[in-house]
Amino acid sequence: MEIAIKNQTLIHMRVSVLSVPVLNQEQALKFYTEILGFVKKLDIPVGNDSRWLTVVSPDDQEGTQVLLEPAPIHHEPTKVYQQSLLESGIPWTQFDVDDVEAEYDRLSKLGVEFSMKPTVVGTSKVVVFKDTCGNNLQLVEAL
Amino acid sequence: MTYYESEVNRIKNTVFANQGQLDTVIGLKNYIDGHLDQDLNLELMAHLRFVSKFHLLRLFKRYYGQTPKQYLIERRVEKAKAYLREGMRVQETCFAVGFESPSSFSLLFKRRTGKSPRAYQKEQFSIRNSSLEFGNCNKEPNLNSHES
Repeated sequence: MEIAIKNQTLIHMRVSVLSVPVLNQEQALKFYTEILGFVKKLDIPVGNDSRWLTVVSPDDQEGTQVLLEPAPIHHEPTKVYQQSLLESGIPWTQFDVDDVEAEYDRLSKLGVEFSMKPTVVGTSKVVVFKDTCGNNLQLVEAL
Repeated sequence: MTYYESEVNRIKNTVFANQGQLDTVIGLKNYIDGHLDQDLNLELMAHLRFVSKFHLLRLFKRYYGQTPKQYLIERRVEKAKAYLREGMRVQETCFAVGFESPSSFSLLFKRRTGKSPRAYQKEQFSIRNSSLEFGNCNKEPNLNSHES
């Protein structure tokens, strides 16, 4: 007990990875880098044609990594859950941007499909689009 | 319309229906964003918005989930990180983001980021240099002039 309490002051957990399930890792990598503008960070083969594949924000390359994980390909319940969220329009996760309208215009021109146009909710402006790999993603601008 | 969009609209029209209150807190946030190096004068802000100081505090916390002071500190640390990455000296950074003493700045910076300002800056330059090709790595600023 004493050791556990002592360690509480020493061990700080950190948030380093945010996981996004994708139906096709190669396609996801292209979308998240070429369309969204993330940068590839780690790409490690883990067998069965799967990779530990992460991308980061170009502005914060030591920050939280987005893990493009192939769970729905190998795990049916994940696929069902992901599909349900997609059909309901619920974003799997969200990313911060400075200007939602500008991103909406930019991504629209690149052919990205939006399920919700820029909308002000309280102190945020949000927009929702499909990542072509089974998810909705939300962009948020703090007002 | 998706289920999500209908829920967003419902929340917008119920929880966030008071546009006057929203304008007040968004105005305060924008003011803080534009005056990070200055002391937060809640009395003045409350006066300009025709509300009491305590009401303004409560509103801000309700809509942003943190007090104006907490938000200000968060933004100052964020800005300080940007300055340090650009090579600004620790003491200079401290005053540029509105802290009154380098020791209180360093203490708070470490509490929020896990590193002292100087350690953070050294780490950022070593990350940057390691990603550059040989021959471009000699432009590290003098980090020894101001200890944190």
